Amino acid sequence: MAEHISENHDEHSHHTEGEHHIVSIPLYLMVFAVLVVGTILTYFTAQWDLDWIFPGANTLLALLIAFTKMMFVILFFMHVKYSSKLIWLTAIAGFFWLAIMFAFTMQDYLTRSAGVFTR
Amino acid sequence: MATNLDTHEHYHQPGLQHQFEDMRQQQESDSIGMWMFLVQEIMFFGGLFTVYLVFRSKFPMAFAAGSNHLNVALGAANTLVLIVSSLTMALAVHYAQLGKRNLQVVLIILTMILGATFLGVKAVEYTDKYKEGIVPVSGLNLRTPNVEVDSARNTSKNPEEQEKNSLDFPEGAHDTKGNKPVTEHGEEKEYVNRRGNFLWEDTSLVVAAQQGNYLTDAEKIGYFENGEINAEKFRDKVRIFFWIYFAMTGLHALHMIIGLGVMAWLLWKAWRGTFTPEYYAPVEMAGLYWHFVDIVWIFLFPLLYLLGRHFLHSGGGH
Amino acid sequence: MQNVDATNIDRVGNEPELNYLNNGSSVKSWLLTKDHKRIAILYLLSVSVFFALGGIYASFIRLELLTPQSDLLESGTYNRVFTQHGVLMVFFFLIPAIPAILGNFLIPIMIGAKDLAFPRINLLSWYIYICGGAFTLWALLQGGVDTGWTFYTPYSTTFSNSYVMAVGLGIFINGFSSILTGLNFIVTIHTMRAPGMTWFRMPLFVWAHYATSLVMLLGTPVIAITVLLLALERVAKIGIFDPAIGGDPILFQHLFWFYSHPAVYIMILPGMGVVSELISNFSRKKIFGYEFIAFSSIAIAVFGFLVWGHHMFVSGQSIYASLVFSFLSMVVAIPSAIKVFNWTATLYKGQISYDTPMLYGLFFIGLFLIGGLTGLFLGAMGLDVHLTDTYFIVAHFHYVMVGGQVLAYLGGLHYWWSKITGKMYSEFWSKIAAMIIFVGFNLTFFPQFILGYMGMPRRYASYPAEFQVLNIFSTAGASVLAIGLLMPLVYFTYSIFFGAKAPANPWLLPGLEWRTSSPPPTENFEKTPIVTWEAYDFTEESGLDLENARNRLRAPLA
Repeated sequence: MAEHISENHDEHSHHTEGEHHIVSIPLYLMVFAVLVVGTILTYFTAQWDLDWIFPGANTLLALLIAFTKMMFVILFFMHVKYSSKLIWLTAIAGFFWLAIMFAFTMQDYLTRSAGVFTR
Repeated sequence: MATNLDTHEHYHQPGLQHQFEDMRQQQESDSIGMWMFLVQEIMFFGGLFTVYLVFRSKFPMAFAAGSNHLNVALGAANTLVLIVSSLTMALAVHYAQLGKRNLQVVLIILTMILGATFLGVKAVEYTDKYKEGIVPVSGLNLRTPNVEVDSARNTSKNPEEQEKNSLDFPEGAHDTKGNKPVTEHGEEKEYVNRRGNFLWEDTSLVVAAQQGNYLTDAEKIGYFENGEINAEKFRDKVRIFFWIYFAMTGLHALHMIIGLGVMAWLLWKAWRGTFTPEYYAPVEMAGLYWHFVDIVWIFLFPLLYLLGRHFLHSGGGH
Repeated sequence: MQNVDATNIDRVGNEPELNYLNNGSSVKSWLLTKDHKRIAILYLLSVSVFFALGGIYASFIRLELLTPQSDLLESGTYNRVFTQHGVLMVFFFLIPAIPAILGNFLIPIMIGAKDLAFPRINLLSWYIYICGGAFTLWALLQGGVDTGWTFYTPYSTTFSNSYVMAVGLGIFINGFSSILTGLNFIVTIHTMRAPGMTWFRMPLFVWAHYATSLVMLLGTPVIAITVLLLALERVAKIGIFDPAIGGDPILFQHLFWFYSHPAVYIMILPGMGVVSELISNFSRKKIFGYEFIAFSSIAIAVFGFLVWGHHMFVSGQSIYASLVFSFLSMVVAIPSAIKVFNWTATLYKGQISYDTPMLYGLFFIGLFLIGGLTGLFLGAMGLDVHLTDTYFIVAHFHYVMVGGQVLAYLGGLHYWWSKITGKMYSEFWSKIAAMIIFVGFNLTFFPQFILGYMGMPRRYASYPAEFQVLNIFSTAGASVLAIGLLMPLVYFTYSIFFGAKAPANPWLLPGLEWRTSSPPPTENFEKTPIVTWEAYDFTEESGLDLENARNRLRAPLA
């Protein structure tokens, strides 16, 4: 019982610790620079023909860059890096459920009658 | 909003609502609540992304063709505009945390200007698509009659036929007499779009993909009629791309408009000096929303504007 | 205990003057209230209206099916009637019933909070609900909708001439009510718990609502965007779901069931929460396997998202995908079974008292068991081909939805009626009503299992003559059920005006909601409680001398 109470306190103190963190301006500017570079990079890599790796490699690369950009926005602009575990969990859960929707829908389309949708 | 029901004493710490014990509890609730809201937003856009994923995997060439037709320069510029607005928003939160009212106000105004710029550019893009006749909804495009064909028909000797023509295409008939929509540099536009239909003739990507042997099986059924490439059927698939384009960017733009509304409210509050280093949750929450909308665009830009860009540079083949 | 006066267990008549009901009586004090208890009452009234409307449509369906010919309603009208029955019952009754009424009223009290975390959003979600409902009712008055509550494309987008758009928008709007309620609950449960109220001291009702809220939050936005696309397809003639121009109607089914399958867990999880309360409290025994029941709720919420494809076995979905969905459907039966086993284990050697709420609790276990097990038949790919779109399905989900959720809702309503209104209802009449409902329900829906197995398809106004006998049974049962459902309306209303005044703790139970007056004050507790006991603690550690109080009162209220 006492264990439960202390657990509760831990959770609260953890939250307080995260609440008032102030990110410095140079860090904001650095994140901004990463985002701009990322945008430029996406634009130019899209012009290269990467289909020799596998068809759709361009899209994959673009998504990787977009994902990196997103991580920077989420971690720093949205302060998740300095937030409680619950916020981490929430953000991850959102994308996890999105992945469920993608994966379980595509498992139908990609396996239909001997691969109608394969190349 | 205190009603006569709230008979008990308030602590009257500024911004503390009655159901909370203290400021920390309120702040925690606000931030969890906002994140929960963002999670539902992820799923809200997620439905559209699923639609995108399914059709993109079925008809990659149609998507590439449609994507190549979007104005990538404007799209990229808009991406940068949004990124800058995210920075200004983040800084607004920063100065709210420090309790600097004037900087907050300036940064919120900057964010709003950038947001409005984004919407303006979007409007330009939409207008272009509308004029080009590729808004995928039948009848919603600019009607651009071909002068020669119309005048040839209207000089027809048979008055009944003439009347029928003008009944069929009242706008077209009117336009041939009045203002000349066709001539900008004195010559006609290449296309005729009397019903405001979606127009698409270019099937070069299908040809290239057929030669390179990388059509998907869905495409082999979807683009062809009796073994021949059928421009109409291909057009329908390109149309799907543009539906998805308009749905996704439209929903995103709607979120931007709501965001601007929130910013206006925030500006008013900040102007009155409501926010202090102890109480700045609304700025932070609005910031989270704004960044989320930015993230959506970070994905929309490559997925909508940059698909199959490389076909343009490698001559459409391998 | 610290702040709970143990002597007030059977205290009658010395509550504080001001409670949430008499604290302001103007229309404004109700329509602009931010008190979760008053909002729960608003929901109670409005949800009841939709339940009654849905019930009227149901009675038309049963009357039509009395004879093999379509004589009372012609086919087109019949299509509208069963669609409207489905839409009203699913979106405007089953989904909000327990969470928005009982959950809204009880969650803050059960965790010792003054209110939900966002009272204004709570009120907003009621207004959104009313707005969505008004939209839908308007469409029904105009002539209604005939697509079935599933709105399958391309019928709904291309061919139907009914008011698909208006009803769709009603559902779209209503969805946000559900999202905001879920959001509010999650945040409240995370941040508003009273000192000492740890996660594993919360009543299982709260755990069940936490799981429900997760589903609401993660699933509902998807149906919102899907309905939006449907509306765009009808209005602007976009064709994402139109197979004639390369669109994909099965994609609609994927998106629809991504929400609507988890939504059936929105409709049953809160009921399971109520039943956990009833079984434990009326057995006077700590619930067996608390953690298992708590986590099985979460497991149902998560696994519920992985099984939607079992609605699509005959739709043209890939057979491999069907295999996966079928397997996972079997898996999701495990947490449900865990709950049933734990409830029965709780009953073992308990001091069971057969008060009305407990009757509903016991009915729930039996009926949910039948409903759940027939669900496994349907999740099996081979058998499902035979049973798809027959009355077997109809019987199955009515056993879960009515036999499960509606009975749990009624059980909860009886259980907490004294807390909500401060009045006691007639125990005699409520027991009679419970029996009538149980008999009527089984008589209505059990024959439908047989009909479905024999091959009677659903959604037709006429049927071959050999099915008539069982249909007559079913219609007769529906009449009995209707009488049973009308009875609470009478004795509940009677109790409000003439019922005996309820004590704070009429059943002599340890839960936090029984430690405040009936009806509770606006801020729920005079002083924030400090919790030092586990949920369902009937020993002296709960701080209440329940044993002595019981001995003094001797067979309370039976």
